[in-house]
Amino acid sequence: MTPDPIDQLGARLFEAARNETPPAGAEQRALEALRRMNSEERPTNAHFSARRKWLTASVAVAVAAGSALLLRPRDVSLGISAEPTTVAHREPERRAVSRVEAPSATLNPLPSPPVAPKLVPSAAPTAVHSAPATLSDELSALKVASSALSAGDTQAALAALDRYDRVLKGQKMRAEATLLRIEALSRGGQAAAASRLAQRFVEENPGSPLVDRARSFVQE
Amino acid sequence: MPFRDEVIGIPSKASPPGTGQRAPSELSIDSLVEQHYGFIWRVLRGLGLSRTDAEDATQQVFMIAARKLDEIDADRARSFLYGAALRIANNARRGLRRRREVLGDETHDEPDVESRGPEKMAELVRARQLLAQVLDQLPEKQRHIIVLAEIEQLAVPEIAALEGVPVGTAASRLRIAREKFRALLEKMRAQNPFGDEP
Repeated sequence: MTPDPIDQLGARLFEAARNETPPAGAEQRALEALRRMNSEERPTNAHFSARRKWLTASVAVAVAAGSALLLRPRDVSLGISAEPTTVAHREPERRAVSRVEAPSATLNPLPSPPVAPKLVPSAAPTAVHSAPATLSDELSALKVASSALSAGDTQAALAALDRYDRVLKGQKMRAEATLLRIEALSRGGQAAAASRLAQRFVEENPGSPLVDRARSFVQE
Repeated sequence: MPFRDEVIGIPSKASPPGTGQRAPSELSIDSLVEQHYGFIWRVLRGLGLSRTDAEDATQQVFMIAARKLDEIDADRARSFLYGAALRIANNARRGLRRRREVLGDETHDEPDVESRGPEKMAELVRARQLLAQVLDQLPEKQRHIIVLAEIEQLAVPEIAALEGVPVGTAASRLRIAREKFRALLEKMRAQNPFGDEP
């Protein structure tokens, strides 16, 4: 009796699925993520994660810097532009932010007076969006994301970052938003997605002061 | 948030005798990962996630399990993980679509490294793609049954337990799902008579 070709085909498809194995090291990565989660969910003064420190310091610095900029909205020398720019274009100017990320900033996350970083070179603004988000809007969105992340609510953090991307079409704090997203994905159990995004960030922004931070999320 | 020391492989003290409580050492997140990682990952693959997305989703399943370890009955651990996997798969499919829209985050479903030789690898990839296409057209509950019965090769009572339905219902669903799967496969083959079959 000749076997039914459809049954044979179906059997081959199922066999192919049965023989598939998870990516190499996936199980180990899961265990490591669970260990990280365990340690992060019980932080103590002596065992406060470096990532949390970095996050707190960077967001605090960003808020302080943003506040300084907002106090001088008409100061054209700061070169704030509503024109969307890519992260890569802003890297040299963003070093001012990075310097404040030194460990001392962790102990005193709101330096006084705050350093106002230059964001982008002055350029003729083009009316791409009818109502571009202000720096204050962008900072607020990132603050929400950061607070949610600090509270361990990665879904809320990602939702705030989605709002930053889709509603605000944020550009001025793009690098920080990307790093927050990487962190949120990683802590939310999406290590592979975090790794892919971090890899892309590293490739597209090789000179960024945040590149080392991003690289720490790239999986081998 | 409850998170016990024994969760991450730290030896735990046994329950006091006579308390009727399960000894914590019976169920640790390490042992859950060791026993069920492959099962959950393949189920998520069967539910339509890419290899890397399935890895992320599997990790999320075990994170949920770690947080709720105190509530999980050792005898029903697989059911718990399976239920979490179904929910996460639904969320993941929605979330991934959104993420790709926002970030243009492409995922490449690279073959597993254990495939032997380029021809065999290509054949396996084609087979899995075809299977995914057919499974995508099945109603969700029938898809679950097919994945459990044909890929995981579970017996009907085990499927019934995982799906939380009577054995008779599971058997009936399986019969209908197999017929539907076969019809879809036949239709796809007829629509693409010259296509390469795996």
